[in-house]
Amino acid sequence: MLASPGAARSLRIAGVAALIALAALFPILFPNPTATNFGVVTLIFVAVTSAWNIFSGYSGYLSLGHAVFYGTGAYFLVVAARDWHLTGSAIFWLLPLGGLAAALIAVPVGLIALRVRRHTFVVITIAFFFIAQLSAGNLSVTGGSSGLLVPVPNNWDPATYNNPFYYVGLIIAVATVALAVAIRRSRYGLQLRAIRDDEDRAAGLGVRAMPVKLSALVLSAFITGMAGALWVYFIGQAVPQFVFDPLFDLAVVLMGFFGGLGTVAGPVLGALVLEPSQLWLNLQESNGYTSEILFGALFLVVILFLPRGVLPTAAEYITAGRARLLRRREQQQGAPGAQAPTPAAGSAP
Amino acid sequence: MRSLTHRTRFLAVGTIAVLATALLAACGNSSGSSGSSKPILIGTSLSLTGDFSADGLAFERGYKLWASDVNAHGGINGRKVQLDILNDNSSPTQVVTNYTDLITVKHVELTFGPFSTLLTAPAAQVAHRYGYSFIEGAGGGNLVFSEKLPNVFDVSLPVANEFDPFISWLSSLPASQRPATAAYPTVDDPFASPQEQRAQSMLEALGIKTVYAKTFPAEVPDYLPNADLVASKKPDLVVLGSTDVPTVQAFMHGFEQQHFSPKLFIAAAGPDQGAAFVSAVGSGNASGMMVGNPWYPDYKNAASQAMVAEYVKKYGGSPSDVNADVAEAYSVGQVTAQAVEHTGSTKGSAIDSYLHSGVTLNSVQGPVKFDSLGRNIKAIAFIFQWQNSNYVQVLPVHATGSVPILNPKPNWTS
Amino acid sequence: MGTEVTHAIADGILGGGVYALMAAGLTLIFGVLDIINVAQGIMVVLGAYLSYVLSVHLHLNVLTGLLITVPVMFVIGVAIHWLFIRPLRGSERTSMTLLACFAVALITEGILYWRFGSNYVSLHNSYSESSVHVLGFYLADIYLIGFGLAVAAIAALYLILYRTTFGRAVRATMQNQTAARLVGIDVTRVAAVTFGIGTAVTAVGGMVFGSINSFTPNSGYDLISRLLAIVILAGMGSIGGALVAAVLMTTAEALVDIWQPDWAVAVFYLAMVIILTVRPGGLFGRRAVRAQ
Repeated sequence: MLASPGAARSLRIAGVAALIALAALFPILFPNPTATNFGVVTLIFVAVTSAWNIFSGYSGYLSLGHAVFYGTGAYFLVVAARDWHLTGSAIFWLLPLGGLAAALIAVPVGLIALRVRRHTFVVITIAFFFIAQLSAGNLSVTGGSSGLLVPVPNNWDPATYNNPFYYVGLIIAVATVALAVAIRRSRYGLQLRAIRDDEDRAAGLGVRAMPVKLSALVLSAFITGMAGALWVYFIGQAVPQFVFDPLFDLAVVLMGFFGGLGTVAGPVLGALVLEPSQLWLNLQESNGYTSEILFGALFLVVILFLPRGVLPTAAEYITAGRARLLRRREQQQGAPGAQAPTPAAGSAP
Repeated sequence: MRSLTHRTRFLAVGTIAVLATALLAACGNSSGSSGSSKPILIGTSLSLTGDFSADGLAFERGYKLWASDVNAHGGINGRKVQLDILNDNSSPTQVVTNYTDLITVKHVELTFGPFSTLLTAPAAQVAHRYGYSFIEGAGGGNLVFSEKLPNVFDVSLPVANEFDPFISWLSSLPASQRPATAAYPTVDDPFASPQEQRAQSMLEALGIKTVYAKTFPAEVPDYLPNADLVASKKPDLVVLGSTDVPTVQAFMHGFEQQHFSPKLFIAAAGPDQGAAFVSAVGSGNASGMMVGNPWYPDYKNAASQAMVAEYVKKYGGSPSDVNADVAEAYSVGQVTAQAVEHTGSTKGSAIDSYLHSGVTLNSVQGPVKFDSLGRNIKAIAFIFQWQNSNYVQVLPVHATGSVPILNPKPNWTS
Repeated sequence: MGTEVTHAIADGILGGGVYALMAAGLTLIFGVLDIINVAQGIMVVLGAYLSYVLSVHLHLNVLTGLLITVPVMFVIGVAIHWLFIRPLRGSERTSMTLLACFAVALITEGILYWRFGSNYVSLHNSYSESSVHVLGFYLADIYLIGFGLAVAAIAALYLILYRTTFGRAVRATMQNQTAARLVGIDVTRVAAVTFGIGTAVTAVGGMVFGSINSFTPNSGYDLISRLLAIVILAGMGSIGGALVAAVLMTTAEALVDIWQPDWAVAVFYLAMVIILTVRPGGLFGRRAVRAQ
């Protein structure tokens, strides 16, 4: 049993380091392009879900319009690559610029949307989503409804073609999770949580709600934009109905919830489990409706029985189980009349 | 604080889940030696669900019909074919994953294209990367050809040219018999827009005045205001850039409600969907509607007639139920078979050079000959018209099998 | 030009009525249970399919068929609430119910795909093609019927809310759940029945929708976004307000359709965003919505 917090912390750090090392070695352990394909898409979703969680999970404002930022980053990359005549690995330098474009878009969106709450906020984000999708389909700079092609690096070795995308994705994903941890531990994160719990009271206590919320949205948008840019380069084309896809937003929300909203590891777990499963299911089943029914059913199960997501609920079970174990042991050691002290319940992550 | 290590533990669980999935994905059948008795594995991704599912399912039938026909005749070079069809759910991420899996895990020998230009473009890149030939029948938009890939071959007519026989017919008429005014309502879609734009510019050059030329988004649930506006202009000719039956139906309803019936009414897609179209609009209303298409069930081509008969035997219904997508898919199979038979190999490079060599092949859609971009320059376009519950070929006027055009379109029946 | 504008406005008003009819159930559920039922879109499609089955297999007139589909959807609504919504509690209730409704939508869509496939179908009836001559143009019969049904449905809902004992219980629950419980109102039962009523009204909306458009199981997505926009613009729980909001948005869209159809749909959503910026509670919402 882990007795000291110091030992627990070292183990945690070692565990995370091992995971990152494993992820870095993944393309070498599983060089098959299908495996790395799974890896690229999964890492993109890990980054996006964590980024979404940094905003929606921490602040409590449920965004169903993150595809706006995803798409802005994507289109920025496509248009810039075309206009600046970039090819090959040079295009990867456009990723942070795509993130920046998305972050810029987030400012007016946030200023408008963050003035309303809860349901209204959700629906406004949906409205922004449609406005973005329709604008991309109508403006000529984005190629209209026919879309635009990205110059894909045809001269790369097919056996390792996916790897550069994988590593870039890994860097983005790890950085995002690190950022999530940093925010969580900071005063800024505390302010966000205060807003989530009771915004009016937080404002009364001196938290400047709008700048805090807006900055979280901008950060979230920056990362989502980068992920979108990476995705569009990987796929090779930008078409409005695919770049701005409502199912994308729903998938991100589901992954965030599945793992545990507002936790750090929850979105990561959600993305790690759900995205490859969805890709894999389609490789097995030729009737798509089976996967839809399955996903819906899975969701109902999660919502009904694991309402706070897999991680927090599982953590609670384990902590409660330990408490029971400890109590039983104390009773067996028989201090007559002594109340068994219950260890502090695991703090909700 | 203890629960934090649990978190890490669960992260590990998640990673293991991913690794397991990757292992599952990576474990596939190895191809082994390709002996002459081993079946040829052909991989393709189709939209069996999602936005493109209606066409995806028709394509699936076309591919499967071809496969069973070819096998009934002994296969290709003595080897039977076996199809591996994956569902891409109309998603480009899934289509890329599917073809990567088919090629690197399932080790298929040949790849057939998916449905829609929008999915063909990213899929073709994957095939090209691994040296596979990519023969397809539903990716005829500019997006695909602007990739300039040497391995892409579209067996069907390029979309922009589908109205050509209609345009030629109008120019052959004396000016007094041509429609005076025309409307071009178009869905904003890479399939419909190129045809409409081409038709509009060529017909304007003929002196036909444009009274309405607007595009609208593809996913509007209700076309009534647009239809009403077109009807109020009372054009002699309506060239509707539709991509499916509901759009045509919506416009027809709108016209009927406004008691407007154009003298000539042609659509880009919808009337070619056989029974689905007629049951949606009613056979009386369908009469006179024209559509451009490279193929139709009664096409006077022996292989095509045979295919239609087999389709009816296998899936029931009547010949006019056969969707044009079925013919497109079937042609993909035929062209592939001819290429493999001639070159004696399934290698991409061999097939690519053969198909680019200027050879003319046969298909149920007619002759097939590819230019350097992979477009079928021998593809023929027909214009079809519904005449009293019969779907007949009317243009080109002197082509075999053409019957006189019903002009003007009869009024609506209700 | 003048006739075109008038015609567009007329189309917009009638179209708004149809949307309001489809949104009526959503507004009711939102107002009473504080739930955004994102399954509303697929419920409309379900209603359309039910009418379709009755019309094709039993050859029932679509209006007569409503006598069957409305009770059936009522039962379905109560069941959904009882099984999937009622058990949800806790601080994350907003998000949880959102997800639960989405899960229901996914499952319903999957079941519809399995039963009906992805072919387009539509409800054939005499109303779809006939029209009434008015002011130099024609107004489609089915839209007039839809508008009429919308007004009737809204009136019926108001009647239930303001003239029945049950309605009083519903209003009490809306204002203060705890107090309602204290006076002996079975809040859970009220919630379940309200959800059922909301779904039952949707059966009517589905019938009109199916008579105007061809549909597949996939048709729910575009619908739900528009319905959500209407409900939020109307303001929490304002049923009559939903009609006004719907008419506003569809008329704006129809007008823009005259000049630039490509942007018309964007205008629909832009209108909502603009109005919400000025009035965050919606057009008829009761003050600004507080966080829970």
